[in-house]
Amino acid sequence: MSMYGSTRGYNPGVTMYKNMDIENMPKQQEPQKTGGLLARKPMDMMSKNMNYSNPAIRVAKQMEVIRNFRNRMKNGDA
Amino acid sequence: MVMLETNEPMFDGPIPGESLTAELGARPWQSPPQYSNVDEVLDYYLSRMSQEDFMVQLVDVLEMGVPVSAIANSIQLSGVMQGLHTIDSGILVMPALMEMIMMLGDAADVKYETGLDNPNKGVTRDTLLAKVASQYKKKLEDTDIKEAVEEKDDEPEEQYSSGLMARRK
Repeated sequence: MSMYGSTRGYNPGVTMYKNMDIENMPKQQEPQKTGGLLARKPMDMMSKNMNYSNPAIRVAKQMEVIRNFRNRMKNGDA
Repeated sequence: MVMLETNEPMFDGPIPGESLTAELGARPWQSPPQYSNVDEVLDYYLSRMSQEDFMVQLVDVLEMGVPVSAIANSIQLSGVMQGLHTIDSGILVMPALMEMIMMLGDAADVKYETGLDNPNKGVTRDTLLAKVASQYKKKLEDTDIKEAVEEKDDEPEEQYSSGLMARRK
C-alpha cells in the first residue's frame, strides 16, 4: 500500500481534503434589519466574504453542509 | 544493498503508445464532458450516493477496510472514464465525496479507514537503515583494528586488592 490509502501511488484527494479549511471559512453575515426603501441591500454581503466563482469554494460550501450534518448525526441531533 | 519490497505489480501499466490505438474522440473521455462544472458533478454524485443500492455496496466496501480516499478516487476516475466530467472537476469534488462517504459510514455505524493518515509515520525507513549500516561499515574499514588493540594493551591494568585493609579509591 503506497501513500495515504491509495493502491496506485499519490492520491490528490487526500491533499485536497486536508487543505479544505472549512472550519475557518468566512461565515455568511446576518443581514442587519433596516427599514426604508433606500436601505442598502445585503446582496453583496456574501460576495465580499467569498469568491463564489472559485469552484473550490463552492465545493467547500457543499462539504461544510455535509460535515455539519455528520457532526449533528454524531451528536445525536439529526 | 537493501531491496525495497513493494506489493504493486511492476508490469501493470499501459503499453507505450496504447492510447494511440483508438481513433481520437472514440473514447468517452476524449469528447466534451456531460457535466461541465463542479455543481453539476456534485449534484450527480450526491444523488447517486443517496440511492439505497449504492449505500449497501459502499458499506460492504468500507467494512472490507478499503480507505475512504481510495473509494472516492475510484468513483471519480470511473466518472472520467465514462465521460461524465473532466478529471479536473473530479479531483475538485473529491473532498466532498470523501465527506459524503464518511457520513454514510457513520450513519451505518461502520468503522472505516479514512486514508488520511500516513501509514508509514513512525516507521524507520529502510533507506535510513541502509545509510547507517553503510556509514558504520565505512567507519570500521577506516579504523586500524591492530593499532587500536595495541593501544589498549599499553594501558596499565588496574590492580584490585580485595583485602579488608586495602586502600579505598
